[in-house]
Amino acid sequence: MSEVIVVTSGKGGVGKSTTTANLGVGLAMRGKKVVLIDTDTGLRNLDLLLGLENRIMYDLIDVVEGRVEIKKALVRHKKYENLQLLPTSQVKDKSAVNPADLMALCDELRKEYDFVIIDCPAGIEQGFQTAIAGADTAIVVTMPEVSAVRDADKIIGELGRSEKDNIKLIINRIRPAMVDSGEMMDMDDINDILAIKCIGQVPDDIKVVTSANRGEPVVGDSDSQAGKAYENIVGRLLGEDIPFMEFEKEGFFKKLMKAFKLSKD
Amino acid sequence: MSRDLVTIKGGKDGFRLLVDSSASMEEIEAEIKKKLDENPGFFPEGTKFELEVADLDRSVKKGINQILNQRGLGVELSVKKDPPPTIDEQSQMPPQYFIQHDGNVEAQEMTVVEHTVRGGEEVTSQGSVLVMGNVNPGAQIIAGGSIDVRGTCRGMVHAGAWGDISAVVIADRLMPTQIRIANMIARSPDIMEKSDFAERAYIKDGQIIIEPIER
Repeated sequence: MSEVIVVTSGKGGVGKSTTTANLGVGLAMRGKKVVLIDTDTGLRNLDLLLGLENRIMYDLIDVVEGRVEIKKALVRHKKYENLQLLPTSQVKDKSAVNPADLMALCDELRKEYDFVIIDCPAGIEQGFQTAIAGADTAIVVTMPEVSAVRDADKIIGELGRSEKDNIKLIINRIRPAMVDSGEMMDMDDINDILAIKCIGQVPDDIKVVTSANRGEPVVGDSDSQAGKAYENIVGRLLGEDIPFMEFEKEGFFKKLMKAFKLSKD
Repeated sequence: MSRDLVTIKGGKDGFRLLVDSSASMEEIEAEIKKKLDENPGFFPEGTKFELEVADLDRSVKKGINQILNQRGLGVELSVKKDPPPTIDEQSQMPPQYFIQHDGNVEAQEMTVVEHTVRGGEEVTSQGSVLVMGNVNPGAQIIAGGSIDVRGTCRGMVHAGAWGDISAVVIADRLMPTQIRIANMIARSPDIMEKSDFAERAYIKDGQIIIEPIER
């Protein structure tokens, strides 16, 4: 049984591509056959996060316009053979693909892969409508910030109008210390407003940035809290019942322990 | 800039139509039609206009009446002013799902929204609105009558949008960005407090008052 998932958010910069890359790698590590589709035509960067830029030969537009077979355009991941990327074009714009094209593409890919994950562009315009067209499940990524939550709310409304009812939430870039001091919205507030099933709470972690620069998603990194959070999300996507992790606040004592290597993480 | 021959003003008791008495019938007719066509949805059928002119020719008055009648609107010739409800009457007033035209109470259809109204969504109704869910920030509810939210109300709500000052807003947790009732606007405090009980907002002494209610 295969599933087509779209990762969307409305607002830019909340971590859609990062989430897509991490879920893709995470599912591939679990042995699933996964294909990632970048639909942010003109502003592609999923290939960068996966470190695959120099291997791109063809793109989504070539496939949609019938110049090449899908198989030829897929880029295989360096490390995980069962993870493929369908990149998009950096020179064309969003009008080059329409919802029907993507729907047909998803149906084709669904035959061979366990998971098709679509990285949606920011905004609610044509690019968004195209990206969600073929999806069974939508993952809405937000962060504990009023504007991001407001946009996520709008996106959930839009998804409802497009009859996408299977919607899940990931809250990204949480800073536990700020939540505790009341400077950041807490998870209950967000869940109260958005009222959809939350499948992930990912802390803000510098390792996400450094690993993105290297082109290696953080998900396999057991030293990273964000990496662990993504692994948990992967587990929940596969139907496992995993409780949300407690975030560690790097206090003085913790740092001291770390300095003397008394603590495992 | 040319002077307006016809002006429509929204007041507490409905709309007033101001006409320049020096204008000819043709000019007035063209101007009224233009004004009404600019906002077709704004004046629901049955809306009465109070004509505000001292020395208007009788034939012109008749002409204006005809223009409005063609569109299902009318002129309120004798100015009736119901005394505003007294404080006692108001606080005892049940949440009512009626809108008043001209003293005739007619039951209005109540719009029931059975889901959360999310940011960017707008619900507009000539009658009252009942939301079985939350009204999220960025959402708008505009009702001719009252608004009842069975959940948390964080968006913008406008009850009595066509001038019904007896309209009320009720919510399990009332913390909207703005409450508008008829032509009055109240905005939320800059630091929002969490409300723990159901509340009702209504107009009292020319002000929007919010008080806790049992439910």
